[in-house]
Amino acid sequence: MSPRGLTRALRGRGARLAALALLSGFALAWSTPLLWMLNASMRDMPFGARDAASLLPDFKPSLAHFSDAWTQGDFAQWYLNTLIVTLGILAVQLVTITLAGYAFARLEFRGKTIVFYLFLLQLTLAAPILIVPNTLMVVRLGLYDSLPGVMAPYFASAFGVFLMRQTFKTIPRDFEEAAILDGASFLQMIRLVLVPLARPGMIAFAIVSVTSHWNEFLWPLMVTDSPGKMVLTVGLTSFVRSAEQAADWGLVAAATLLVAGPLLLAFALFQRQFVNSFLFTGIK
Amino acid sequence: MKLVRSMAAAAAIAILSPSGAVAATRIDFFFPVPVDGALAKEMQSLVARFNKENPDIEVTAAYTGTYDETDIKTRAAIKAGKPPALSLMSANFITQYHIDDLVEPFDPLVEADGKTPDAFMDQFWPALHGNARVDGKIYGVPFHNSTPLLYYNAEQFKEAGLDPDKPPATWAEWVEAARKLTKRDGDKTLRYGIMLPGTYDILGWTVSALIMSNGGQYYNPEYGGEIYYDTPSSLGALTFVDDLVHKFKVMPEGTIQTPAMNNAFFGGQAAMIISSTGSLSFIRQNMKTPFKVAFIPRNIRNAVPIGGASLILPKGNSEERRQAAWKLVKWLTSPEISGGWSRFTGYFAPPKAAYDLPEMKEFLDKNPDAKVALAQLAYARPWFATYNTVAVRKALEDEVQAMLSGKKTPAEAIKAAQANADALLKGYVDATALSLPK
Amino acid sequence: MRRRSPAFLAAWLLAPSLFLLFLFTYVPILQALMQAVTLEGFGGKFTGYGLGNFHKLFADAGFWKAVSNNAVYGIGTVAPSIALAVVLGVALQEATRLNAVIRTVIVFPVVLPLVAVATLFAFVLMPGVGLLDYHLAELGIAGANWLGSPDTALYAIIGLSIWKNAGYYMLFVLAGLAGIAPELHEAAKLDGAGALTRFRRITLPLLKPTLAFVLVIALINVVTQVDHVIVLTGGGPSDSTNILLNYIFQAAHQQGDTGRAAAATIVSVAGLLALSVASLRTLKSGMHYES
Repeated sequence: MSPRGLTRALRGRGARLAALALLSGFALAWSTPLLWMLNASMRDMPFGARDAASLLPDFKPSLAHFSDAWTQGDFAQWYLNTLIVTLGILAVQLVTITLAGYAFARLEFRGKTIVFYLFLLQLTLAAPILIVPNTLMVVRLGLYDSLPGVMAPYFASAFGVFLMRQTFKTIPRDFEEAAILDGASFLQMIRLVLVPLARPGMIAFAIVSVTSHWNEFLWPLMVTDSPGKMVLTVGLTSFVRSAEQAADWGLVAAATLLVAGPLLLAFALFQRQFVNSFLFTGIK
Repeated sequence: MKLVRSMAAAAAIAILSPSGAVAATRIDFFFPVPVDGALAKEMQSLVARFNKENPDIEVTAAYTGTYDETDIKTRAAIKAGKPPALSLMSANFITQYHIDDLVEPFDPLVEADGKTPDAFMDQFWPALHGNARVDGKIYGVPFHNSTPLLYYNAEQFKEAGLDPDKPPATWAEWVEAARKLTKRDGDKTLRYGIMLPGTYDILGWTVSALIMSNGGQYYNPEYGGEIYYDTPSSLGALTFVDDLVHKFKVMPEGTIQTPAMNNAFFGGQAAMIISSTGSLSFIRQNMKTPFKVAFIPRNIRNAVPIGGASLILPKGNSEERRQAAWKLVKWLTSPEISGGWSRFTGYFAPPKAAYDLPEMKEFLDKNPDAKVALAQLAYARPWFATYNTVAVRKALEDEVQAMLSGKKTPAEAIKAAQANADALLKGYVDATALSLPK
Repeated sequence: MRRRSPAFLAAWLLAPSLFLLFLFTYVPILQALMQAVTLEGFGGKFTGYGLGNFHKLFADAGFWKAVSNNAVYGIGTVAPSIALAVVLGVALQEATRLNAVIRTVIVFPVVLPLVAVATLFAFVLMPGVGLLDYHLAELGIAGANWLGSPDTALYAIIGLSIWKNAGYYMLFVLAGLAGIAPELHEAAKLDGAGALTRFRRITLPLLKPTLAFVLVIALINVVTQVDHVIVLTGGGPSDSTNILLNYIFQAAHQQGDTGRAAAATIVSVAGLLALSVASLRTLKSGMHYES
């Protein structure tokens, strides 16, 4: 290699190392809140301690904060409610979006464009904006302070409809036509032929749906009252409120991890699927 | 295993609850916890005890956040047609609830028990009557009450050459003490002489205490349409606070959130703080160095608002549930239960008889700091309550927050606060005081 | 019976979704519209219909403060988030182990509930002992009362939002980058184009549809994400973090002014619709490009 080429290569290498160092430093700074949370949840955190923000772990990490949080909060109930809500929403969504997605993907009918736009508009009219009138609607339906009340507004998902539409469009019609010729009823055809073929799209949607509803806060807060109906986000906030007033950061950190833990863990383990599903649902 | 078991139990409860085959009257009880400590848990255990002693009633206690949040939740529940049978509400929200016609008076229930309303109220400290009665009827039964207190670090007092048994009694003494206690290291302040809580609700309460200590009346206790922000007493109090921050530099700039203030007190970075007596137990548990409490220092006179919460009866409940709620009210405000709660929290017990009980006397002997709030009751007046109380309160708080950050002068702050508050009160005023014969 | 008309089939396939859409999206909007034009006097007494609530809304300085706060918040979160997403996406697009780890770190906040992030940041932003001030002090930089001063509170909230969302947008940028044929870059390199020029001339233009999409999502988030404000500041101090949705929430619940809250809801919905129509145009061209 010529001397000039060597310098250029070395400068390139230096630049790359510098970039790497910068990126790593940035990533470290980015992760400090989470690192702190992990550390604080297992460390002794006396009130008024000056080093509450330290990232250095104690010699003997303890799970005391977690057990305190578990006994003081009502995490079992909150987990149950959150699971019911997210899985319940998902179950109904899968039915509604599959049916509607098929209609858009395969059928031509009058008014298709208008209906299409009705769905499209819903994408931007996100639920939080409509909280006040939606609460009234839930009350009118007699669903106030109930888990179905929390789930109902999400049973239809324009997002999911478009996703299924896109997914179905990529499946050749031959499969359906063969099934019909074999004597399958329409619903059987959907269930036994299309759904298995559309599985990647449905899984992608499932991940996005569960994540977003697991993390929902304002809506469940508004439509539920009883402690027995709280979901994790609402439970966490009420629990943390009194702990925060007391500046009991170890407890706060542990409680937050109990809420965010499952999703974080799922994400760490199934990164590829999460990432793909976010992208899959987005780009399409 | 514990996880599985608790989840199974929760699932069982979730499945079984709706059918409710038991004959017990089920009532909901909303309660807030505005101060620090394990109060929510203690309330739940109190309620569990009541349920055990009264098998014909089943109370579900729901912790609904701060005073402001409990207000929102209670109103939402009433609007949704599912009102709780009983709600523990900030003592000064009662007026608004009555104006909005959302609560029932207690008088019929008291009379059915064979007492007169006056005799019933007599059991409570006189300072609490103002917030309990609106338009002559009892709409809120006091459950726990407080006054603001000056908490100070006794050790730091000694270190600075001050006598911990002689806390500052006037604003002049207060500033002097604060100056001696403030420690600086070049540009940085290592210890502040004073910290005041800056978050919504407690900021307004603290400022009203200072305005009252400066001779101000603050609001019209007999008519919910008038608030006195733009007055000399208010201007004086706000200027005093402003000076603490910007002139004497014994208090930090900006809004200090309660957890930060508590942290600073525990960690020795704040020598004196103002907080509710309701935090007394919590601070006593967590303060490692000796501390004491004192009256709020006066400029013109000793005067503080009460704080705390009262039990209200939302409208829309069946007679059965009202009776059950009334039973719970009487139980919660009995000298024995009230006294226990007071000892646990630091709030003082509304029924005077609680202080005649031996356990209370013993407790006060061991913990003389609990006597201070009680002694300050002699100078306590009702908590301000007007139409649209929360918004009117925020009108002042927003201005004070701006002032604390140096964005407005005290004079600008009170003028803006008055203007905003008047705009909020206009609807009520136009329909009442300004509603004249044509 | 096999050959149903498509219209009939479509009707019952779409019925459940449409019904729910109407129930929870379109009817509530109409109700909000009704509420917005219903005038009530003191005590909730009905006094007629009209635009009074809108007049009150536009005359309320608090409303314009909320709008301007939201605008600042919008620009403050969207621009840096997307810029960060692009820079990080480009820097981390190679499939190395280290890159995978860093990408995971950046994306972690996305799966946290916003309230959990707010709880976390209550500590991060505490003056003196909080994470930020503590470590700034180690670097010799003075901290500040981030959430306690009207000057800094909104920026603290903005920082929180960037931390929460940037990773999500980065994912889309990564996908978009994967769609750019490597031959284009090779050819440019052979032509002597430097990294920056290639970025400007090849990467950015080809990322446009992706960025358009990310922009729409980011803008929707700006208006609809409000949990952090509710939990951390309640709109304060001194209304400095009061964004539109929080304003609506406060008007409805704290001030009991449902008419004004409904009017503000209508205005926000109109704004969102305008935004989405404008971006749908760019999206449609993007979609064609993708397929």
